[in-house]
Amino acid sequence: MATEPLVLAFDCSAAHCAAALLKGDQVLCERLEEMNRGQAERLMPLLEELLFDCAQSWQDLDAIGVGVGPGNFTGIRIAVSAARGLALGLNRPAVGVSGLEARQKPGVLPAVPAPRDQVYIEMPGEAPRLTSCAEAEECARGAALAFAPVASPVDLARRIAELTRDRYQKTSSPPAPLYLRAADAAPARDLPPKLLDD
Amino acid sequence: MTETLTLLGLESSCDDTAAAVVRQQAEAPAEVLASIVFGQTELHRAFGGVVPEIAARAHAEKLDICVADALAEAGVTLADLDAIAVTAGPGLIGGVMSGVMCAKGIAAATGLPLVGVNHLAGHALTPRLTDGIAYPYLMLLVSGGHCQFLIARGPEDFTRLGGTIDDAPGEAFDKTARLLGLPQPGGPSVQAEAERGDPMRFRFPRPLLDRQDCNFSFSGLKTALLRMRDQITAEKSGLTLQDRADLCAGFQTAVADVLAKKTQRALQIYLEENPSEPVLAVAGGVAANSAIRAQLETVCAENNTRFVAPPLHLCTDNAAMIAYAGLERFKAGARDGMDLAARPRWPLDQSSPAMLGSGRKGAKA
Repeated sequence: MATEPLVLAFDCSAAHCAAALLKGDQVLCERLEEMNRGQAERLMPLLEELLFDCAQSWQDLDAIGVGVGPGNFTGIRIAVSAARGLALGLNRPAVGVSGLEARQKPGVLPAVPAPRDQVYIEMPGEAPRLTSCAEAEECARGAALAFAPVASPVDLARRIAELTRDRYQKTSSPPAPLYLRAADAAPARDLPPKLLDD
Repeated sequence: MTETLTLLGLESSCDDTAAAVVRQQAEAPAEVLASIVFGQTELHRAFGGVVPEIAARAHAEKLDICVADALAEAGVTLADLDAIAVTAGPGLIGGVMSGVMCAKGIAAATGLPLVGVNHLAGHALTPRLTDGIAYPYLMLLVSGGHCQFLIARGPEDFTRLGGTIDDAPGEAFDKTARLLGLPQPGGPSVQAEAERGDPMRFRFPRPLLDRQDCNFSFSGLKTALLRMRDQITAEKSGLTLQDRADLCAGFQTAVADVLAKKTQRALQIYLEENPSEPVLAVAGGVAANSAIRAQLETVCAENNTRFVAPPLHLCTDNAAMIAYAGLERFKAGARDGMDLAARPRWPLDQSSPAMLGSGRKGAKA
């Protein structure tokens, strides 16, 4: 019998570090620590503790799964950067999984809370986008889908691990953050002077 | 104990994504086996300056590729390394964080030790990498983000003699270029204009020269240039190419004068320590300006001090300096844990009073 793949997945797309270690269909361990800051300091020790508790090492992993957002830009980058570093160091694939995809369930509109009464949604057959909560509710009603933009980070990590297990042998592109919002940047204000011929 | 050390370095504190491999055999000069820099100038062009979020986005998706390229160019694998060095600050926090996390991932996966490096220490130790300079030496760090004098006494032992109380000169060059419709980065474009300009036509202020310290201020110089530009524009409804060249020449001369005069003062303090082989070393992109460099060389010659300027690609942001600074820390026994923090602010000299950003978040540099 072929050994079942060992997948470590983690997510920092909101105020948490969440992780799940999956062997085949079986979740060996899950971790969740809520935090508003300090994910960059905490993520790697948390993952090492998780592996240690399950008597596994980094080299035992077949793939790394990572939540690529949407969500908090800094948290997403922390997780994606770590996943890419691990993939390079282990020479194993890292798979990026969208938080919207990880929230997909029959009869539900996948939604991730965003600041200022907004929400990231992914309507069936459409590209994911950022919209107001009011509009999202309307979309959900129109499509007869439930709208509940909350998810347990542990469920999220587990789902990312499962999707990674299903995909890691076919994925070729490295994980990349899913921002869905352009960087805040204003064009330069200084206008160049009018130049005259000498 | 192995006599040869090979370190990988990662740098992502501003707008350059960089990775490098540096090797040192026993006490022989260290060797840069590879130094890869992915610039981001194009990404920031429309904004007239580095946009932190844009920089962070680019770093996060390029660092591992940059590392793989550096390893390939150096002809080594991760198994050949002794440690991973990474810039842990100061800098734009999003980029620093990406670098630190990527380095932690590589270190965890390979079991290699992790060494966090102060970006400014990277610049300050570069003369040891390139020219094998002995401690203590005087360092003028002059770039787009920094301007300070340091006496370097050891890999983590620096005394700051002074620095800018507002902007860095590189920032002033960039701003000047923007105000005069010249391309970014401002350093090379302003220098090229200045070469055909009259440095005597416009007399710009030399801030803080009246003070007997080693501090700088450049924000007033930018304002003076803006006023002069607007005055000319108001008179002629525009700026001639000669006006522009003369403004650049006047501006550059003012910066060079201030840097030279303050270097004179810093040298006096440093020479009081009677170093056996006195050296002034420069680093940072502004050190590439030939007019500034010429003035600094003159000051050094007058003071029987050797002038050391690393080649440009090791003066501007790069990862070879991070790998090398990491190597010095590593040899001194330094190791960092997986909880290594990325720090937006991290002064090299922790004992001198803060010059910039003395608020809640502490000193910037």
